[in-house]
Amino acid sequence: MKNIFSAILCLGLTITLTAQDFDKNLATARSSYSSGNLEDARFAMQQMLNDIDVLVGKEMIKLLPAKLESLNANVTNDNVTANTGLAGVLVHRDYGTGEKTANLDLMSNSPLIGSLNAILSLPFVGNSGDGTQKVVKVQGYKGVLQKSVDTETNKTDYTLQIPIKNTLLTFVVNNTTEAEILKMANAIPVAEIVKLVQ
Amino acid sequence: MKRKLLLVGLAVFAFVFTMQAQGLMGKLKQKAEQAAEKALEKKAKEKAGVETNDSDSDSNSSSGNSSSSSNSRSNPANKGGGGLVTAPPDVKQNLSDAESAFKTASYGEARYAVQQAMLGVEMEIGNKVLKSLPETVSGLPKQEEYDKVTSTGWGWVGLTIQREYLKDDKQLRTTIANNAAWMSSVNMYLANGGYAQQTNGEQNWKQVKVKGNRAVIEYDDASGYKLSVPLGQSSLIVFEGVNFASEQEMMNAANTFDIEGIKNTLGEK
Repeated sequence: MKNIFSAILCLGLTITLTAQDFDKNLATARSSYSSGNLEDARFAMQQMLNDIDVLVGKEMIKLLPAKLESLNANVTNDNVTANTGLAGVLVHRDYGTGEKTANLDLMSNSPLIGSLNAILSLPFVGNSGDGTQKVVKVQGYKGVLQKSVDTETNKTDYTLQIPIKNTLLTFVVNNTTEAEILKMANAIPVAEIVKLVQ
Repeated sequence: MKRKLLLVGLAVFAFVFTMQAQGLMGKLKQKAEQAAEKALEKKAKEKAGVETNDSDSDSNSSSGNSSSSSNSRSNPANKGGGGLVTAPPDVKQNLSDAESAFKTASYGEARYAVQQAMLGVEMEIGNKVLKSLPETVSGLPKQEEYDKVTSTGWGWVGLTIQREYLKDDKQLRTTIANNAAWMSSVNMYLANGGYAQQTNGEQNWKQVKVKGNRAVIEYDDASGYKLSVPLGQSSLIVFEGVNFASEQEMMNAANTFDIEGIKNTLGEK
């Protein structure tokens, strides 16, 4: 309990810091632009994008459930990486320890997502003949579910990818069944996450 | 699988990007040609003393249409409009929008506004660089109508500035790419001798220096000379010379450019 409390406190503190950074960078952008120093203005704006991305990532983490089925969230592994440019903002959370784990990754605001989404939503890409890949619906959002069997342990892993506007949600669960991963995925507040990045 | 998707994604993105640009150019060209044809026709008819009656010809053509397709209704053709306002986004306004959106925790909106502001600044930087480029290079005058600044506001694509010099069949194309995420690795590669030197007869590129900046010059019979000069950490200037007589001539052309000035405008060290 104490740990959770201090984690929340830390998170809150970083968010305030980021909000301050945003204001500071905004002031720099304005003054640089007014004085004709375009390059510095641009740099400050890039920093502003980063600040927003980090903030959005942290808000996303707050929305994620603390428990998925029997798996508890490992909050110490929570991670938000903002990378203006290629990758956008990456949010990571994992659940469970031992043999069964779940990994949830959100990638948003990346220029790659648009084309990736286009590919994933093509029906002939989504379904494969051998039954390892199919299109599913989670909370009304279409996604691609992939199954892979570990040849040594004979355990089944599933990967679910849901492209939503400019965000890609990737959910990987080890040693599970299709029904279980879909049940877990339904506990993720997808609509609220989308609202954040819109 | 992920990697494949990523690669395909990249390819589609690049393809769509170029297609859009080409499509727009094509349309513009078509419109210009149509207008020119119409004007010429009118002049010729006036000279020949033929009465021109646009409404007549229009009604003829439309009646022709209706008779040929009596069962289907034909949509009216667009005869022209104001087009789009292509002024770059207002930087100050967008910064204010970003601030207010951020305060109300509409992060998506704030992000969009910052991106628009960045787009505006990048367009201004591009135009500033274009202004600083020489009017003529090795006797080739600039082709101002082909000046182009492209920015998407996405960090990884960055800003590209293009300028063309042309006389008869001799051409120099200049492309300056700035602040693209992939640029730093390219620059690292070029400036640190990533190109291996060969000693057999097929040597078609080598390392040179342009005003103290390390660069790579390439030659190809089909496309001519290509000189790539990395500028600072994240910019690159590429000169492409068609029908240049020698390497020296190409180097002289490149040396006409104020590379330090460009570097400063782009904020490179």
